[in-house]
Amino acid sequence: MKKILLAVLAFFAIGVNEISAGGNQGFFRSLEYEVNAGTNIGGASPIPLPAEIRKINSYSPELNLQIGATVRKWLGTDQKWGAGLGLRFETKGMKTKATVKNYGMEIIDNGKTLKGRWTGKVQTKYHTQQLVVPLTAFYKLSSRVVLNVGPYLSYAFSNDFNGYVFDGYLREGDPTGDKISFTGDSKASYDFGNELRKFQWGMQLGASVKVYRQLVVNANLEWGCNDIFNSSFKTVSFNLYPIYLNLGFGYVF
Amino acid sequence: MKISELAIVFCAAAMTMSCIRQEPLNAECDIVSVSLPGDVLNRQPLIDNNKVTLIVKSDVSLMGLAPEFELTPGATIEPASGTVRNFLLPQTYTVTSQDGEWSKEYTIIAEHNNTINLNYGFEHVKEASALGGACRYDVFYEVGPTGQESMEWASANQAYALSFQASTPNTFPTYQGEDGVEGYCAVLVTRSTGSWGQRLGKPIASGNLFIGKFDMSDAVNHPLEATHFGTLFTNVPSQFSGYYKYTPGETYCEPDADGNLVAVPDKTDSFSLYAVLYESVPGQEWLDGNNVLAEDNPYIISTAIIPDRYASEEWVEFSVPFTYRPGKTIDPEKLKAGNYSLAVVMGSSQDGDRFCGAVGSTLKVDELSITCVSDTESN
Repeated sequence: MKKILLAVLAFFAIGVNEISAGGNQGFFRSLEYEVNAGTNIGGASPIPLPAEIRKINSYSPELNLQIGATVRKWLGTDQKWGAGLGLRFETKGMKTKATVKNYGMEIIDNGKTLKGRWTGKVQTKYHTQQLVVPLTAFYKLSSRVVLNVGPYLSYAFSNDFNGYVFDGYLREGDPTGDKISFTGDSKASYDFGNELRKFQWGMQLGASVKVYRQLVVNANLEWGCNDIFNSSFKTVSFNLYPIYLNLGFGYVF
Repeated sequence: MKISELAIVFCAAAMTMSCIRQEPLNAECDIVSVSLPGDVLNRQPLIDNNKVTLIVKSDVSLMGLAPEFELTPGATIEPASGTVRNFLLPQTYTVTSQDGEWSKEYTIIAEHNNTINLNYGFEHVKEASALGGACRYDVFYEVGPTGQESMEWASANQAYALSFQASTPNTFPTYQGEDGVEGYCAVLVTRSTGSWGQRLGKPIASGNLFIGKFDMSDAVNHPLEATHFGTLFTNVPSQFSGYYKYTPGETYCEPDADGNLVAVPDKTDSFSLYAVLYESVPGQEWLDGNNVLAEDNPYIISTAIIPDRYASEEWVEFSVPFTYRPGKTIDPEKLKAGNYSLAVVMGSSQDGDRFCGAVGSTLKVDELSITCVSDTESN
């Protein structure tokens, strides 16, 4: 960890040094660029699953695209360690159907709220579009394999979290409240999109494998460290963390 | 190869973390059913969220009843099931959930229910709230000779709250109006249920008020079945009378397959206002929106329906006799045993049960009364 941090720090130290010394020519010449594209597979998941969730009936990762670019600087004489800064645009999403018991639920319409505990089925659709800035350390495992690890910051400019409840019942307010059943074709929709957090951070960890000349295949695990919801939002009583595996390829030059 | 291995590792990791945990203990604390040992009950107990009404046979003493309860699995009740208590006064029970975190107090009333009002002035309402206090609606009740509440009118107001369209009592389909024949009156207005109601295929809500019970838990799924019309009646009704005012809404509409309202040209809304006497039998203790006036319902004894209902801005006085269905009579033994029920039903759109009608149709009703055969004899 210390080594990684040092590498990241060194990247900037060298950069600042060289720029201020007017020797930036050499610095930029030694930079490596990569453009990449991929797909995100994963979901926003509570860790561990709360007891309220009794069964995951279905899960679909949806097609989540990602495109981005990375600037990399290899350090030292052996060029084993490096640091990089990236910018990528990505979508993350999922669609799930779960069976829940006594699950916090809030149905909002026309400025009013029907709040309570839901027992039954819930369909959830999560979709976000984000700009992500990863700051990572690189390590050359071999001539073909490069590992990376580091934090990322993201800003969501589009957020959706909605769905509906069906085949169950709501206890209005709390478990002692009036019981309202929704069965058959009856469903009640909810939308928590406005409650999603705009800024998030997390860690990413991954590997690149050179498959052909300048073409690399990338696999990165992105692990969000914030609950996807604003902390003031209490209806979903547990934290959901975005955890995605990004698979894709890149072109290095 | 490498990629697929990574994917497998990732999925395995996700699954380990995502294990379904042990089911939490039940948080609910409901009385699911009530029974009384012996042949004591006249009909099924009426169970609400925090009230139970036991209608016992007329020759059974209320002083020593020992109700037995079925509760939410794992819940407990205090005093215990089977405890003998004196039900001359309402008794309180506390049910605690299996997880011990929630408890609910129930009031249990036992009654012979032969003291039903025969005159309804709509002078009394209490306010109920829904959506966590975001909206309030009127609940009509009548008082007996001692000034105590003797019966509560039922309406679907509580379900209308779920349309998110209402706020104050007079924005609900059924509320108390000030311009009664005497004092206050009942006002029933056909309302739109907004986008939510439309999505559920129920785009309008007819104002409604009836003697019976509204089953909130079934209101969304089966609105017609949720209206349990009628309560035990031990007299022979002969005449149904009162006053009404009616203004039909502008455009009569029907819902299409998607729940959108479609105007029906040249059709004017009308209202319903009637009384029905029927026999309560096990399996069909009450009538509901599907069968309350059904020609083929063998348990209906007699009905009192206003034949020529018309729009009027002035109070219209009406008085209609109870007409017996062909071949039907009242069996004095069954009457004495409490096997008959009476329903009084009003609605601002008579086809509101099929979600057809005109938004804005307004029915006002006041000073209803049921005249019984024994009354006319004594007069």
